[in-house]
Amino acid sequence: MSALSLLDALPWLVAVWLFAVGLYGIATSRHCVHLVGCLTVCQSATYVLLLGIGYVRGAGPPVFYDHPPGTPAVDPVVQALVLTDIVVGAAVSALLLALAIQVQKRRGTLDPQALRPLRPPPSSLE
Amino acid sequence: MTPRQRLVLLGLAALVLMPAVMRIALALPAFGAPEAELGQAMNALVPGLRHVTNMVAAVNFDLRGIDTLGEEGMLLCAVTGTTVLLRGARGESGRERAGHLPGRPVTPRADATVLVCRIAATLTLLFGLSVALHGMTTPGGGFQGGVIVASGLLLLYLGEGYEGWRALIPPPVLAVLEGGGAVLFVLCAGLPLLAGHPALQNLLPLGEPKDLYSGGLMVVVNAAVALSVTGSFGLLLVEFLEETREPADDPVPEDTLPEDPLPDEAER
Repeated sequence: MSALSLLDALPWLVAVWLFAVGLYGIATSRHCVHLVGCLTVCQSATYVLLLGIGYVRGAGPPVFYDHPPGTPAVDPVVQALVLTDIVVGAAVSALLLALAIQVQKRRGTLDPQALRPLRPPPSSLE
Repeated sequence: MTPRQRLVLLGLAALVLMPAVMRIALALPAFGAPEAELGQAMNALVPGLRHVTNMVAAVNFDLRGIDTLGEEGMLLCAVTGTTVLLRGARGESGRERAGHLPGRPVTPRADATVLVCRIAATLTLLFGLSVALHGMTTPGGGFQGGVIVASGLLLLYLGEGYEGWRALIPPPVLAVLEGGGAVLFVLCAGLPLLAGHPALQNLLPLGEPKDLYSGGLMVVVNAAVALSVTGSFGLLLVEFLEETREPADDPVPEDTLPEDPLPDEAER
């Protein structure tokens, strides 16, 4: 295991670290909004991985407006994947936050630890 | 399960998974020297085949267009789900006034805020439009442009206040934008099928490279995505801003409360 190969693998290790940090946050979360934020951190690990995989050393962007086609360019496929995923991910985060609002309204708490899904909500007991 | 137990479980899982993850991370191609051929083949061929200069847009709207159609469906589902969840709990009567706490004074916006927001919102909307329209030539496209336009809408809210904002951009228009964009995308994918071609077959004239119209069908798909993303994010903004109203301000359908006599004078 030379130092060079460890340096080559650095972006992948950063992606792993980001994912692990997000996962730690999810596992220890005491608040649903914090949970959504942690999920977004996990998601950004995939961006780092994808964009890192597409990078070509010394190459430019895959847009051939200023430089002619044929100049070295990075992989456009992973960029397209990341691009659509960021937009859809933002909308999905909004959906999860709307769910969090509903949880707060119905149960009066946002702590996942305090939620007992199979019990009827307190309002229906009256 | 207590948080401590969860952490222990997570630690055990990490211990089991870590060797495999490290093995894969070190076996991946070195950073900056990828082995995937597809992207490089696209870089070499697409400018000639499709007459566009932005490869990312070409991948999104043509070469992997079906994939983007799926993403578009996910966007639609997520936004529909959010809207249903929020509106279902709140009721649909849209009184175009922001809620505020009784007894708390509503300070009017400073003229400077209104002016700055009007200027910034105009510029942002124009910039978003430009980014969306030039998707085939320079970095940009429907996804980015749509999000920029939607953030311009938020600037309009900041400057005009809730009432003025609702008057400027009625939510049904946003819903039509979102759904219409998705329908346009589906039509682009489906119409070639009716004519006996593969889905999303690029049958329109391709145009000149570096031109505003270049890429044939991609221009239409790009516009569809731009409309849809603008509508989606605008709708999300409306729905979440609606949440800031007092529940008493907007009774849910089954509630038979009379119109509440809150002495609020709207925004300003």
